[in-house]
Amino acid sequence: MKFIVSSTYLLKRLQVLGGVINSNNTLPILDNFLFDLDKNQLTVSASDLETTISSVLEVESDSEGAIAVPARLLLDTVKTFPEQPLTFVVENNNTIEISSNHGKYALAYADGAEFPKAVELANPSATTIMGDILASAITKTIFAAGNDDLRPVMSGVFFQFSPESLTFVATDAHKLVKYQRTDVHASEVAEFIMPKKPLNLLKGILAGSESEVKIEYNESNAKFSFDNTELICRLIDGKYPNYEAVIPKENPNQLLISRSQILSSVRRVSIFSNKTTHQIRLKIAGAELNISAEDVDYSNKAEERLSCSYQGDDMQIGFNSRFLVEMLNNLSSDEVSLEMSLPNRAGILTPADGLDEGELVTMLVMPVMLNS
Amino acid sequence: MPFSFPLRKIIHVDMDAFYASVEQHDHPELRGKPVAVGGGSKRGVVTAASYEARKFGVRSAMSGIIAQRNCPELIFVKPRFDRYKEISQQVRNVFFEFTDLVEPLSLDEAYLDVTENKKGNPSATLIAQEIRKKILVKTGLTASAGISINKFIAKVASDYNKPNGQKTVNPEEVIPFLEALDIRKFYGVGKVTAEKMYQLGIFTGLDLKSKSLEFLQTHFGKSGRYYFDVVRGIHLSPVKPHRTPKSVGAERTFSENLSSEVFMLERLEHIAHELERRLLKNKVAGKTITLKIKYSDFTLHTRSKTLPYFVASKELILETAKELLYQQELENSVRLLGISLANLNTEKRKKLVDDAPVLVQLKFDL
Repeated sequence: MKFIVSSTYLLKRLQVLGGVINSNNTLPILDNFLFDLDKNQLTVSASDLETTISSVLEVESDSEGAIAVPARLLLDTVKTFPEQPLTFVVENNNTIEISSNHGKYALAYADGAEFPKAVELANPSATTIMGDILASAITKTIFAAGNDDLRPVMSGVFFQFSPESLTFVATDAHKLVKYQRTDVHASEVAEFIMPKKPLNLLKGILAGSESEVKIEYNESNAKFSFDNTELICRLIDGKYPNYEAVIPKENPNQLLISRSQILSSVRRVSIFSNKTTHQIRLKIAGAELNISAEDVDYSNKAEERLSCSYQGDDMQIGFNSRFLVEMLNNLSSDEVSLEMSLPNRAGILTPADGLDEGELVTMLVMPVMLNS
Repeated sequence: MPFSFPLRKIIHVDMDAFYASVEQHDHPELRGKPVAVGGGSKRGVVTAASYEARKFGVRSAMSGIIAQRNCPELIFVKPRFDRYKEISQQVRNVFFEFTDLVEPLSLDEAYLDVTENKKGNPSATLIAQEIRKKILVKTGLTASAGISINKFIAKVASDYNKPNGQKTVNPEEVIPFLEALDIRKFYGVGKVTAEKMYQLGIFTGLDLKSKSLEFLQTHFGKSGRYYFDVVRGIHLSPVKPHRTPKSVGAERTFSENLSSEVFMLERLEHIAHELERRLLKNKVAGKTITLKIKYSDFTLHTRSKTLPYFVASKELILETAKELLYQQELENSVRLLGISLANLNTEKRKKLVDDAPVLVQLKFDL
């Protein structure tokens, strides 16, 4: 088995694929990349058993074979080379020898057959979506997903496909994001919950991508195929909570304000908030939004006033400032709308402009209750 | 000395027919006549009755119509709470001349601990006399007093020589006094408990004393310990000068019974509004919201819900009250609705070092 590949081309792929490898594996074979060579097609795979990602690389070769190469060692080595051809030759003593312009490096490899095979999806349904749309759907939602081991379904992003639209939802019970695209469709209704890790990988690979992504899915697995890459992962088992029920329907109080203004005010004021609750208060009266925070433990206090456009009764509501910052950061509009009903009901944050045709973003945040 | 703990000197002062007496004092034409404060409207309730009216069987909390039937001569006057408060304050000022340990129970009643007092007078009996005399001079009203070693006995004693009298139960008299006491007079024994006591053969303090602690705890649960102690003259509850209210409420009796929930919602809004006003005035918030429903047949039902956070605003109280109203179908037309708020933040504040706000991050109901 022998092949020649460009060092930077290989490195780029290895870095993407390496993201799936856990730092401490119970199964030592998972510390490797699987190199599966078929003439000038080299398929490199990495896996953590839940997620397997593989990429096909064009190489110069006329041989075949499958070996598992230590990932860390290989990455650390390839990283150091300036652009140049690298020659990989499998030697008889269970090592693979890499030759560069500088010298030779031998790595012990394992038999490729030991590497776990990625699951084959039985009877999958399929949908295609543009890479950058999927990437922004992931970016907009994933930060809101939870980390609660007791409710694993909420640690993922809920994919809801229908002939009318694709919807992506994430929540940790404190905040919730619903990202909807009515300009992308699925042939039939389907729902599944994607774990965070493969989504983070996809987000990284697909940002700004103009390739089409084919999503295949069944009850237990999903497969994302694009360019020369395939990602197959296990879905989170369980039923996603009925999130629609928690979106308040009647929200008589609506605040319209510049996103950058409220974001920088909240950031500044929150420096003065209590370090465990991060609570800030919004007081809205007339066309004025008053944002305040205090940390009674240290007598720290801050208050800012912003002008806004407001329809509704005067009200006071408390929020965790970190949630507001995360949410405002994840929007890209000039203005945002915050709709509210009561100080113990969720506030609904939506961008007031800058959306693509068919794009809908709804963010919900539960308040922190004030006692005075 | 029959007691193993240091003895205190407690006085219970109770104004005689307070509201009615204030009215008679302010309006000389009412003197010597049967007077009822409140209860004048079609469905009102008598808040207080003068001694002349009491002879005819007019009692407080009696409906105006029944009171009128018992005593056709009865004169109804509208209550003037501001005036009663003003006089109550004058009375309290008299108390403060003797001690700062004053625990007001209502506008017309208070406990005083005069074990140590500002006058250095060792006789609680004489202090009580002096207090009653001063009240009469300052307000023109009479008061009765009970004097003993704890709040419970003092309160029972103040009823003995009412009106315009006082009764001292000295330490050595405490045990015989309690043994002879009718079980119904024990504080905390209402109609239901009294009935239960009767069935267990307990009619007097002596009967109660003959029962073992285990026996009382089996039959009365946590209260068993209390009954066991109190009949032995043990009631260590201190006179608390700053009695913080345990709950704040507002209620409304309707001029017509309501059967439509739509009308009830409208009334609830008014009640919530009034409650909010009271909460604001007392600067408190609470977690437990109780909806009180009195049906036209006078049966009383309460439904309550405890929130994970403090509320004080009308909107939030109303929201929960509505939920409670709809929680179960109403059984009958409704005569009275009330909302009260308990589990107040004043209770919590004691435990916290300072006034650190209690913050709760709310969650979606997923």
